Amino acid sequence: MTLTTTSFDWVRHLVHKESAIVLQPGKEYLVEARLLPIARQAGLTDVSQFVESVRIRPDADSTRRIVEALTTNETSWFRDGDPFTALTSTVLPSLLGARGPNERLQIWSAACSSGQESYTIAMLLEDALPNAASRVSITATDISREMVERTRAGRFSQLEVNRGLPAPMLVRHFTRAGTEWEVAPALRRMVTASQCNLAAPLPRMGPFDVVYLRNVLIYFDLPTKQAILRRVRDLMRPDGWLFLGAAETTLGVDDSWERVVVGRSSAYRPLKGK
Amino acid sequence: MRALVIDDSRAMRRIVSGILEGLGYETQQAGHGREGLDALEGLAPDQLPDLVCVDWNMPVMDGLQFVSAVRSNPGWRSMTIMMVTSESEHTQIVRALAAGAHEYVIKPFTADAIRDKLALLGLLPQEAVL
Amino acid sequence: MTTLDSGERRRTSDTRPVITDLIDEVTVESIAQEAWISLVGEDEVLVPLPGGPVADPVSSWVDVVGPWTGSVVLTTGRRTAEELTRALLREHSPEVLEDEDVADAFGEIANVVGGNVKAALPGSSGLSLPDVGEAPALRNPDDLCRVELQWRGEPLSISVQGALPPLPAVS
Repeated sequence: MTLTTTSFDWVRHLVHKESAIVLQPGKEYLVEARLLPIARQAGLTDVSQFVESVRIRPDADSTRRIVEALTTNETSWFRDGDPFTALTSTVLPSLLGARGPNERLQIWSAACSSGQESYTIAMLLEDALPNAASRVSITATDISREMVERTRAGRFSQLEVNRGLPAPMLVRHFTRAGTEWEVAPALRRMVTASQCNLAAPLPRMGPFDVVYLRNVLIYFDLPTKQAILRRVRDLMRPDGWLFLGAAETTLGVDDSWERVVVGRSSAYRPLKGK
Repeated sequence: MRALVIDDSRAMRRIVSGILEGLGYETQQAGHGREGLDALEGLAPDQLPDLVCVDWNMPVMDGLQFVSAVRSNPGWRSMTIMMVTSESEHTQIVRALAAGAHEYVIKPFTADAIRDKLALLGLLPQEAVL
Repeated sequence: MTTLDSGERRRTSDTRPVITDLIDEVTVESIAQEAWISLVGEDEVLVPLPGGPVADPVSSWVDVVGPWTGSVVLTTGRRTAEELTRALLREHSPEVLEDEDVADAFGEIANVVGGNVKAALPGSSGLSLPDVGEAPALRNPDDLCRVELQWRGEPLSISVQGALPPLPAVS
């Protein structure tokens, strides 16, 4: 089972294009080790076979999984913390002022991977709001069933909790479970995880006050980006807030959003009448 | 920015120092808590390191005793202390934070883990920010 | 076929647990894999296959003292321990490795693996500073959780072994 030069080169170019990370020749072994679990999920035993199938018929989900498996900064907690700082400093006070005391805020983590983003939001809200669990619900979705299950389980390896999770938050919101760390039940109750393909018509959800859709659009072509943004907008409250990845924007893609600067981050809000 | 790296393992001191230097730190090393205190003693406030990375289990003076000693000196408040240790129980992390450590990195760690923690603490030298 | 359960085993483990009641090979292996990926190198994997006998063996270990008392022992060939040291130190590796360098680096790996094994055990325990040399003797073959692995094709084993002899049989 060796990775062909064609497959390796394709992976190298893909990873470089999406993450600017350079995989040197000789790292074939790394590619094989990291992609084997994904190939197995796809029902294949061979990484080359898997890479070839994606190369010939690219799909956004597999492409994203490949890049994520080979780059390590997609799944850390508060890394790129600005969209989270914005949540507690600006977005939450503004929403609490606009909503009735019994209205539950709905937040959507739209490509939740193994759950770090959803639980980061849950921890911030738990620390910022008394009885957060009765005021807020967090919907976590991902196209991969395995990721949805991981999010539900709320268990993280030592290496995962080492990545950008402040130690005071780790001890406040997690307990040890064998070699792993488990999110507190109160936070798990705030998060509902389900499977959802952003590139297809969406299930009935929301309406959402805040949507985190970070590092997803970059993997799609322009018409799909436009369709996703339209569908997301349809599930949002008119005064809602959308957060994209640092390298993503609605500008030049969909003109029905207004870009607003929140602290050191940018958010996008639905433009009225569009 | 300056960092003091305290670990009884020379290999680990080199690894941690290497990561910090790669991020733009000037580093200094010590082999246990007592040596660490000796390195700090007599330094003027503007000479103190910005960051101290300290192991837990060490001969002579362990990391927890070191943290308590640093915290009992009001002149040393400006330093940020990050424990870097294979002690990884929940109760141990709580003890270290209660003693006055600001952050805690569990061994084994990756260079990214150190960088992420420093970013959270606002201690990444400017040129290292991605 | 029915077996008569004398309750003896349960009584024994009630008074003093053996390691196989507390941790399994899969857990020890996953701890080692995480240590290798982050300390030795991102693309360094331990292959879970017995690598055969070790030539010129050297061990590093830490002692765990608590509800369960014993040692976490890494054993490999001296050449492999040197190679591990170089991998760990990367560009900081000296031209000529002293025994001290190898003892230090191989000992630190035992510390990292041992600390995480300790954390996976129930209750709270203490951890000793690492030691390097000839592995501590195996006191009780039933109080042992051992994984045999290969790193870069060379054998390397991790034994989590009790420090106490077996309890006398209950008569």
